[in-house]
Amino acid sequence: MTNFIKDPVVMMAERNPDPVFSNDELVFSDQEKRLIERWKSQYPTVDGAIMRVLWLAQEKFGFLPPEVIRLTADEVGIPYANAYGVATFYTQYYKKKRGKHVLDVCTCFSCQVCGGYDILHYLESKLGIHVGETTDDGLFTLQEVECLGACGSAPMLQVTNGRYVMDLTHERVDALIDTLRKGKTPEFTSVTLPQDEDELGGNRRSDVKEFQASSPRPVSETVR
Amino acid sequence: MAKITIDKTIFEFEGDQPSLLQFCLDREIELPHFCYHPAMSAPANCRQCLVEIGNPERDRETGQIMVDEEGNEVIRFFPKLMTSCSENISDGLVVRTQRSSDLVRRAQKDNLEFLLINHPLDCPICDQAGHCPLQNQAYKYGPEGSRFEFRKVSKPKHIRLGPRVVLDAERCINCTRCTRFTSEISKSHQLTIVERSVKNYPMTPPGIEFDEPYSMNVIDICPVGALTSEDFRFKARVWEMSSTPSITTTNAKGSNCYYWVKDNRVLKITPRTNMNVNEFWLADDDRLDYERFNDDRPPGPTVDGEASSWEDGYARAAHILGNVDGNRIAFLGSAHASVEDNYLLARLAEKLGTAAPMYIEHVEVGSGDDWLRTDDRAPNASGCARLGFTVADADLFGPRLKGGEIDVLYVLEDDPVSTGLCTSDDLHGVSVILHHYNESNQTLPLATVSLPAATVVETVGTFVNIDGHAQRVRPAKAIRGVNRTLAMEIGRSRADQHGTPFDRWYNEENLINCQPGWVSVPGVANALGLDMPTTNPKAIMAELASTNSAFEGATYSAMGEYGIRLSEIGETV
Amino acid sequence: MEVKPTGQSKAGDWKNFQRVLLPPVKDLHKLEVYEAEGGYQTFRDALSTAKWTPPAVTEEVQQSVLRGRGGAGFPCGLKWTFMPPVDENVPRFLCCNADESEPGTFKDRQLMEYNPHLVFEGILLACYAMSIKTAYIYVRGEFADWITHMEAELEKVYAKGYVGQNILGSEFSTEIVIHKGAGAYICGEESSLMDSLEGKRAYPRVKPPFPAQKGIWGYPTTINNVETLACVPLILRYGGEWFSQIGAERHPGPVLYGISGHVNRPGVYEYPTGMLITDLIEQVAGGMRNGKKLKAVVPGGSSTPILTAAMIDGVTMDAETLRDAGSMMGTGGMLIMDEDTDIVAWLRRVTHFYHHESCGQCTPCREGTGWLENIVSRIEEGEGNIRDLDLLVDLCSQMEGRTVCALADAAAWPVRYTIERFREEFEARCRPSLVPGAEVMETVE
Ligand SMILES: Cc1cc2nc3c(=O)[nH]c(=O)nc-3n(C[C@H](O)[C@H](O)[C@H](O)COP(=O)(O)O)c2cc1C
Ligand code: SF4
Ligand code: SF4
Ligand code: FES
Ligand code: FES
Repeated sequence: MTNFIKDPVVMMAERNPDPVFSNDELVFSDQEKRLIERWKSQYPTVDGAIMRVLWLAQEKFGFLPPEVIRLTADEVGIPYANAYGVATFYTQYYKKKRGKHVLDVCTCFSCQVCGGYDILHYLESKLGIHVGETTDDGLFTLQEVECLGACGSAPMLQVTNGRYVMDLTHERVDALIDTLRKGKTPEFTSVTLPQDEDELGGNRRSDVKEFQASSPRPVSETVR
Repeated sequence: MAKITIDKTIFEFEGDQPSLLQFCLDREIELPHFCYHPAMSAPANCRQCLVEIGNPERDRETGQIMVDEEGNEVIRFFPKLMTSCSENISDGLVVRTQRSSDLVRRAQKDNLEFLLINHPLDCPICDQAGHCPLQNQAYKYGPEGSRFEFRKVSKPKHIRLGPRVVLDAERCINCTRCTRFTSEISKSHQLTIVERSVKNYPMTPPGIEFDEPYSMNVIDICPVGALTSEDFRFKARVWEMSSTPSITTTNAKGSNCYYWVKDNRVLKITPRTNMNVNEFWLADDDRLDYERFNDDRPPGPTVDGEASSWEDGYARAAHILGNVDGNRIAFLGSAHASVEDNYLLARLAEKLGTAAPMYIEHVEVGSGDDWLRTDDRAPNASGCARLGFTVADADLFGPRLKGGEIDVLYVLEDDPVSTGLCTSDDLHGVSVILHHYNESNQTLPLATVSLPAATVVETVGTFVNIDGHAQRVRPAKAIRGVNRTLAMEIGRSRADQHGTPFDRWYNEENLINCQPGWVSVPGVANALGLDMPTTNPKAIMAELASTNSAFEGATYSAMGEYGIRLSEIGETV
Repeated sequence: MEVKPTGQSKAGDWKNFQRVLLPPVKDLHKLEVYEAEGGYQTFRDALSTAKWTPPAVTEEVQQSVLRGRGGAGFPCGLKWTFMPPVDENVPRFLCCNADESEPGTFKDRQLMEYNPHLVFEGILLACYAMSIKTAYIYVRGEFADWITHMEAELEKVYAKGYVGQNILGSEFSTEIVIHKGAGAYICGEESSLMDSLEGKRAYPRVKPPFPAQKGIWGYPTTINNVETLACVPLILRYGGEWFSQIGAERHPGPVLYGISGHVNRPGVYEYPTGMLITDLIEQVAGGMRNGKKLKAVVPGGSSTPILTAAMIDGVTMDAETLRDAGSMMGTGGMLIMDEDTDIVAWLRRVTHFYHHESCGQCTPCREGTGWLENIVSRIEEGEGNIRDLDLLVDLCSQMEGRTVCALADAAAWPVRYTIERFREEFEARCRPSLVPGAEVMETVE
């Protein structure tokens, strides 16, 4: 990510970009429409459903170019400008196309003092890109994010708004990249409660394969 | 009665009250503010209107207000400063503004410092300079220098949001007035704030033009120069123009406005608040309706297509009228002309023994909305109807002309040909006397006598809007030729000016050779030797107000700056 | 200025504390297991026992002295009483705040993963107590996996008839809807959360009116944190009296401590409130990593003022003691930092967080957060000057208490207190000159 305070330039999104998706593609399936109707019914006014529908659209189309945002607005029945304002407010909505896998590395707070930046820099050199960029093969986008609520397992990252990969080391990062390159998704991992380790002998969930026990965090080499 | 204390002054009030900020503004207690607008929700986001607020402390047991040793009420102030725009008024409230509180002064200054750190401070090239709330308040309440030593955030500039509005996001202070306008007032929903944190700014979503018919209102309500008019950009600085309160005339709403004039040219039109007519707003059509006042104006009267003097024009018109039978003359009044001008025309017709004038209806079905734009595209059809004029019917009028029933057509400030009331052919062999505003008038080539008329920005007169609201217009610019009434009115309408050659705004340039109807219609009458005693518009209205129930009470002083609502006209009219 | 509490632990015999929020039960997150452990029985009782009228439930919660676990520590039962009297024509809402984005906080996620039904049951009881027919769980968008897990369990709860129309044959009906956020810290702030739910840009609202008067869609609304609501079934099951006896007297109950940073065993721990910070570090979290010395503790998420090692002696984790010690309980997300920590760099990253997460609505926060980051960043780079430190404190004063929501305060406090408490470190990084950018004149004398 370019350092905003060093280069405080706000770039405007293109006013009239060519659509990425054709009108034929810009439709929700009947099943999706049923979901949308259900979400709409869950709020006193349909507006409440917009965030869910934006999520659905992002999963379907990969990102949210203007024509997709417009589609969501029409589907929910709210003004396009409102949907656009919402889409640009939240960081998890991709207004621009990203790589196939987005690596959101937490460098905030606890992660910072436990090597979050080390992981970020390791990924930068491993993937040959700077933070904020996408690899030439379109596979990976690297981003720096704020606290993801997994501070006890710092440093950590999230893959494409989904899986948390915690307790990162260079080896774990290597393994993650291999997994993703193979087209696989990393396993969901439960973080063990230290008290459970003492009282239950480790993870309490029988339906989870991977778990992460409590251990000292790495020493950070870099803090920015 | 309930009371509130503001800076040690006690104000009494009754019933529901607006916010504390509005309460103060209504009493001319100045409180700096940006985001608050009386017509819209109050997000309290600019944080400029902070004040100290307290309530009298009550004894827990007795509920009595506690007093100190000196007998003063003990006031418990909120620990935090509160935004007056979001604060309701309640009995006993004690308020300290910047006038009496260091804390408030300090907070207002601090806030302005924050507002300015990312502001480009490009006032020398900003259209808003001179009437910019940010500039004014920064002078008055702001810090002296800047402690900000970093690069300012750069944001999109010179962005055409739509055909008429240009955005400079760097100047924007994110008050959200513009987006609230499109979501709460016009409901076009064409604008939104995009992005987040210091990166945010107002924008249309991609692929959308900000082209709603009321788009330019955001220019006035923007408290900085972030939104400017594509049309007006860099034309003139505010202090180079005079502004005159009047009304707009593109339709029958009679929205209140200011005409901004420099060198006798109207350069822009902005809304003037009138809660009974247009509230705070003005349609874009109304704002852009000024070129016809400046350009396309006739050089002077003509007779048989040749330039003539006013006297020769009147004489020829009198000659034509005097030589036909009254019932072979047709008079067309005008929904564009004032009540006074139409009234004088009616008097002329009456004296010549002709039927009452008719007028052309300018209704374009579907062109209006249910807000400030009516389907009727003329400002004074109601005035004509109240004078007892009927609408001229194209199905009857053309055939009458063609059929040779009429020898003379007298047209007041309208254009029967372009409006389709009749064709050029129909007028073959008919003598036409025409009072007209513009050269492009399509009846003009057929006129035997043409008498250039003063437009709404050059005259004094009364217009009645679609809801029966009678309002005065005032001269915003001078015309050629001296007229005492006009000179006096010009002096009155442009505050702190006197309408004399010594006046700062007085200017010899661009004077149009035209006359108000209330000068030229009597001019014709006099040439006919007819007596037309009341030719002063003010006196005309005084007379109508007392003699014609359709105009009851509509004197100049009663109409004042905001007009009066006339009573409904009865069935008989 | 510093009041040094001489206090002992207020957590009693914490070593033998029996966990209740996260009791040691395998697969407790599954409905069957939760029920087998007596789950939903409290809710059944509330619906079927004459004693448990809605006001009685609220009363019991008030008895418990439960204070909100979302950061502000507001008494939960009292908050519930702010709801206006029921009017059948006016909908009312509950919102469970699962936005958990305060840096250093990660306990709600663990709670939702391991004991989601306790949260659901708490929500149902709260709805019952306040006659609410719709509850939203606002979960931050990043918790996608946990949302999936919870949705699956919620479906089971619906199937079992604990949620929906005429629950368990009673008159009481309520719906639970999970709302997925999409990446904005500010959505944790209750009024911004309401705007977000309404499908708007998440702008905090001016208060008053408070949510109980004018909440979601303008209707009466109560907002509580996940952990707060999870305490409710326990309070009803074991009694408010029981709850109020756990931990610190004025801030009682079991609490989830999320300990991160330079300790040997970071993680989420359940203990009574009022634990000594030193006990939490040394005995609970296994002591400092690599035997390093403690430098600083941030006791309750990034906005709570940092405490130096010297300041934590005898300080316990409860609102009153922490306030006296110069900080706050916040979310109970504790960051422990050792002697090698670069506190200037750390503060720079904290200021970046608030700059990035300001909603941008109001002036002091939108502009101030960026200014703070600029200055701290300059100091970190060795380009600052000592005057900058005073300017920073000044700017904090210009932000605190002057904004729509408390994010600006949350951004200012770390700056104010970190500079106050680690001033030498900041000074050491500054240029001695008063003039920014001027060369240091070392050679003159
Ligand atoms: C900037 C800001 C962020 C907040 N984030 C959260 C959050 O992520 N989770 C939370 O439960 N409360 C958060 N809060 C506190 C909420 O506004 C609210 O006080 C809380 O949800 C009430 O629940 P409680 O009384 O049960 O603690 C935040 C407050 C502020 C000012
Ligand atoms: S453009 Fe003007 S009106 Fe709109 S938000 Fe910015 S300052 Fe306010
Ligand atoms: S204080 Fe910050 S986050 Fe809160 S409303 Fe203002 S700008 Fe938004
Ligand atoms: S600081 Fe990285 S997850 Fe909380
Ligand atoms: S006018 Fe009150 S905060 Fe803007």
